[in-house]
Amino acid sequence: MKILIVEDEIELARDIMHYLNNEHFLCELAQDFPSALEKIQLHEYDCILLDLMIPGGDGLQILQELKKQQKQDGVIIISAKNSLEDKIAGLKLGADDYLAKPFHHAELAARIESVIRRKQFDSNTLITQNELSIDLQAKTVSVHGNSVILTKKEYDLLLFFIGNKNRVLSKSALAEHLSGDFADMFDNHDFVYAHVKNLKRKLKESGYGDYIKTIYGTGYKWEL
Amino acid sequence: MGTVTKLLHKPLKAFTIYALLILVISIPVYVLVVDYIWVTELDENNWLTLQHTKVKLQSKVFTEEDIEIINHIWGELQPGISIQRADTVSSFQDHFYEIIRPNEFDKEDGEDRFRGLTSIIQLNGHPYQITIETNVEESDETLLAVASITLVFFVLLILGFIVLNRNIAKKSWSPFYSTLQSLQSFDLSSDNKIHLEQTNIEEFEALHHSLRQLINRSVSTYQKQKSFIENAAHELQTPIALLKSKLDLIHQENEISPKVTELLSNIEAPLSRLSRINKNLLLLAKVENKHFQKLETIDLNTYLGTAIMLFEDFILDKNLTLTSDLLQTITLHANSFLVETLVHNLLSNAIRHTPNDGFIHVQVKNNSLLFSNSGIQALNGNVLFERFSMVTKDKVSSGLGLAIVKEICNQNKWKICYRFENGFHQFTIQFYS
Repeated sequence: MKILIVEDEIELARDIMHYLNNEHFLCELAQDFPSALEKIQLHEYDCILLDLMIPGGDGLQILQELKKQQKQDGVIIISAKNSLEDKIAGLKLGADDYLAKPFHHAELAARIESVIRRKQFDSNTLITQNELSIDLQAKTVSVHGNSVILTKKEYDLLLFFIGNKNRVLSKSALAEHLSGDFADMFDNHDFVYAHVKNLKRKLKESGYGDYIKTIYGTGYKWEL
Repeated sequence: MGTVTKLLHKPLKAFTIYALLILVISIPVYVLVVDYIWVTELDENNWLTLQHTKVKLQSKVFTEEDIEIINHIWGELQPGISIQRADTVSSFQDHFYEIIRPNEFDKEDGEDRFRGLTSIIQLNGHPYQITIETNVEESDETLLAVASITLVFFVLLILGFIVLNRNIAKKSWSPFYSTLQSLQSFDLSSDNKIHLEQTNIEEFEALHHSLRQLINRSVSTYQKQKSFIENAAHELQTPIALLKSKLDLIHQENEISPKVTELLSNIEAPLSRLSRINKNLLLLAKVENKHFQKLETIDLNTYLGTAIMLFEDFILDKNLTLTSDLLQTITLHANSFLVETLVHNLLSNAIRHTPNDGFIHVQVKNNSLLFSNSGIQALNGNVLFERFSMVTKDKVSSGLGLAIVKEICNQNKWKICYRFENGFHQFTIQFYS
């Protein structure tokens, strides 16, 4: 999977690369408008992480260029502006998602996974992990062919874990994923425990291995 | 602060007092002058009559009997004049005198004042005394007359002052009052220009000029401050994002001791608060800078329902009981993001500040939205909506949530108020229109 990171904040770009660089992601970096433009013209990417404020031009113009060239690259806008107008303008111009800075890397990773899956429509609506399979279109989960009934939040959590395999997910990242922007309005994120506990229990009852590991003091990890 | 008088009443008061003083002083002066003229004129008249009489008497020869008869006839016809034998010749000088005695013809009038002149005349070798008396107005009567006329004029003067004052006020001071009104209705946070009426009065024009300068400076300072906050908050976003990003990466390290893990989670909490403060600061600046102008028709109840659903986890976490009475459908014409923010802030506030196992009640009725939640003691309503008023020791609070709520209400001309009743904090938003 090829990812292009269009971001002038080199430190942040490196961190994203560092987090994403594992078995199936290959990241490239463009720090300004001209190099970003050049890269999208020369290559195809599975997903482009686009900062709207980059030296030399407006990130929205990159979107326009992609549209003009009828490219199918997935685009996630990552912006510090968190402005509704930008979000609407970006989504209208064909961006697939919008993530306001600051964000958890886990959240970004999950969103990238989701964008890429959506781009590959029919071929891959089914995620299989050992005895577990998830039908993304029907939003159903089954273990050993037996369906597992999950709540919406448990389902979201499961996808979040799968999008961040073998990574430590902090409680706040999980809380933020489940309740969006509101998580930081509260200091108590204990509800995350309840949802994770339920998810673990349901998967275990269906005979799925105990892949969700508790990391002391931090959060959880989906280990495969 | 003493009693407050309208500016225009000040000169009126002074004018009235001054006019009264002058008129009061003028009364005795008038009386004295009138009396003096009166007396001199009568003395002159008496003297002329005397001379005439003397000449006529001396031009003919009268016997003593004739003189008796003349005196008698005079007494009958003209009581003011008399001639009598003088027993002793004390002086040949003419003598003026004044006497007050009852008037024979006008008994009701009581005593009358008379101005007299006596003179000695030699007739038939005998001295005779001629006396001429003329009635003169008493000075107390003059005083009364002058005083009453003065009073009438005083009243006329004051009435004139009041009418003139009112007219002057209406005409010349009208620009002043319109300026005053413009200033009173001027709001630094919502207006950036003041309209001052054109006037042809130099002082007011000078005042307007200074006011415009002052206001322009204030507006520009205010705008700069607002954009400074927005820019500052914006600049802070990137370092905060970097810190968060580094923390995420540290969590991925395999070999971290429990001690470091604890330290990390201790860093995470204040960092998340910093991030929240900054986010809210930016949001508040954006609301104040009117970044959210797009209006939509909004069903408030839908937003409430969504918010309650979104916050469900946090409500369950604290074992709170949330009840809602949506008795009325409120349709707002407002910016959807702002309405959402308003509802989220109020609800999250209620959740955060309610003790575990407490109650939250949401009610919509009479065109108003009420959030009430159980609490221990009343909050200081005066500073509650101020930024960073720090009414709580809460570790998550950004100190800006209610300031944002207040600003959203202000911009939409809704009224928000806080009450503490029967152990419940109550926030009510009254929607108009």
